[in-house]
Amino acid sequence: MSDRRSPETIARWATESLDTDVLHRLRVPLGLVAVIVFIRPVVSHPVLLGYEQIANSILIWMLFAASFNLLIGYTGLLSFGHAMFLGFGTYGAAIGVLHMGLPFIVAALISVAVATVVAHLIGRLTVQKGEIYFAMLTLAFAQSVYFIANQNYGGITGGSTGLSGALPAWIESYRGVMYVSLEWLRFDWYYLLAVVFLIGMLALWQLVRSPFGRTLAVVRENEELARAVGIDTRRYKIWSFTFSGMFAALAGVLLEINNQGATLHDLSVTTSGDVILMTVLGGTKYFFGPLTGVFVWLFSRDFLTEFETLVVPLSEFPIVRVELSGVLTYWQFFLGLLFVIAVLVAPREGVWGLFRGGVERLFQRFGGDQE
Amino acid sequence: MIDIRQNDATEAVQSDPILQTDGLTKRFGGVVAVDDVDLAVEQGELHAIIGPNGAGKTTLFDTVTGALPPTAGTVWFDGEEITDLPQEARPHRGLARSFQSNQLFNDLSVLENVRVVVQTAQTGTFSLDLLGEGQDRYRDRAFDHLERVGLDDQYSTAAKNLSHGDQRRLGIAVTLATEPSVLLLDEPTSGIGTTETQETAEMIDDLRQELDLTILLIEHDMDIVLLMSDRITVLNQGEVIATASPEAIRDNEDVQNAYLGGMREEL
Ligand SMILES: Nc1ncnc2c1ncn2[C@@H]1O[C@H](COP(=O)(O)OP(=O)(O)O)[C@@H](O)[C@H]1O
Ligand SMILES: [Mg+2]
Repeated sequence: MSDRRSPETIARWATESLDTDVLHRLRVPLGLVAVIVFIRPVVSHPVLLGYEQIANSILIWMLFAASFNLLIGYTGLLSFGHAMFLGFGTYGAAIGVLHMGLPFIVAALISVAVATVVAHLIGRLTVQKGEIYFAMLTLAFAQSVYFIANQNYGGITGGSTGLSGALPAWIESYRGVMYVSLEWLRFDWYYLLAVVFLIGMLALWQLVRSPFGRTLAVVRENEELARAVGIDTRRYKIWSFTFSGMFAALAGVLLEINNQGATLHDLSVTTSGDVILMTVLGGTKYFFGPLTGVFVWLFSRDFLTEFETLVVPLSEFPIVRVELSGVLTYWQFFLGLLFVIAVLVAPREGVWGLFRGGVERLFQRFGGDQE
Repeated sequence: MIDIRQNDATEAVQSDPILQTDGLTKRFGGVVAVDDVDLAVEQGELHAIIGPNGAGKTTLFDTVTGALPPTAGTVWFDGEEITDLPQEARPHRGLARSFQSNQLFNDLSVLENVRVVVQTAQTGTFSLDLLGEGQDRYRDRAFDHLERVGLDDQYSTAAKNLSHGDQRRLGIAVTLATEPSVLLLDEPTSGIGTTETQETAEMIDDLRQELDLTILLIEHDMDIVLLMSDRITVLNQGEVIATASPEAIRDNEDVQNAYLGGMREEL
């Protein structure tokens, strides 16, 4: 058994990696472009949600959940206080614009920088405390931030009403739709949002595939062994926490524009909980897992809430008409059920993992039949 | 009993033993798992540690590698005291260990298990390298290590899906990837069959020759120990009861008592 050192293996390995190179390497960037191109037409289709604005929140939450997955999925750290970094983004931008009179971009950059530094400091204090203490400490930090924002010291954070009306000078709201309005150009805010989303997601993707990111996976898999082979696991976890906070704050800045202000809800334990549920529902093992979770969650929430009468097959040809308003208002129950099933059937895989697995099996069977 | 303990009064830089412990002690509450152990491992030797279950062999490894802080005593490596050196810094000095139970990066591929360790050996305990594709780095080097243990054709299998014997081999490849000069192997043949045990023993011998390693080996198979080692240290209830050549150990009464499970009243 020990004498299987075959040159063929090496040759095979070399060609394999060449064959799949281009498509394989571009699959994530292409997938991300597909998300921003298709999500709006899909959700705004009359049969589905019928309005476009939901696509904005979906993208922002996707970025937020992806930043969270850097912790839970790639590093194996479960934080119960991730909303605090989203809040640093929303409140930071709003405070910078309203109280300091800064240009929006400057306020946004400062708030992301502050979130990054705070994340680094909190990371230093918490990452090495063991799973339960880490969860409790992150929760406690987030609750403190919530408390401070709610107390409204010096009228800075606006207390329970939050801060509103802090918009960049170049954003214009017209009949409920926001536009980026420059001297010579005016376009839907969605496109700018999508570009920032794309840049943020590509940066996250680069992070997880880099030598640094590959080491995070090793820390997640077996911290004891990682330390024994010479990895300073604590520092890797601190930096993972730092980057995670940074990208969450970036999502927060986008959310601030989208909601035209900052609200206490951004900082709440509900938001921290929602991002956990969405990420785990989608699947923490995959880069697209959290994105799937966010889509399924937000889409079903709105779909199930709005959708009261199911007409099959189409409203133009009503054959069967089912009144669902009584049942579907319990959307949280159905999402909860879906969550429980996904976690029980495939922890770490989630909805995206199950979907991928299904497609792969189909593909194999299909390919097999043809031969 | 042959005592090879260095005189305490001699100056610190004593380059002869590559690895040395001085009064090393580890207590867990009332249990003294490692009791005042003076061990000296010479450059290039294969030094076996034997002793009954619970003798403190694994705990000795844990304290030498820094996985556990010792209660008392010092550890010296390559002429420097490393007692307080962080655990993760030690492999970069050339001191590495394998585990008695299969410790692997379970969800990752066989290749990735080794590749990340090669990367770590090259870049240090921490590196904020955010550029390029991690998986492309050091693949060839990782492949060399896999070839050494005969796992190269299973490079894409997830570590958790390997057979037990192959997992043991991968554990050794992971340890080798740290580029050690002194290798601490904790029962590399535990839980595998006789043929595979023989193969593993040969593999260790080959590695030793090729890579010029000093090996500290915990092993329960006495045939292998007597055949392979240059010197043997016997532990019982945390204490060293003998350090000697295989021949001397075989005939040692204390050792036989310990192995026969006889409660030793004296000593
Ligand atoms: N983490 C621990 N906590 C408490 N006791 C331990 C721990 N590790 C080992 N021991 C005890 O120390 C003694 C030596 O164990 P160990 O080093 O594993 O022995 P060996 O490897 O020789 O079989 C045993 O009595 C064991 O129960
Ligand atoms: Mg042991």
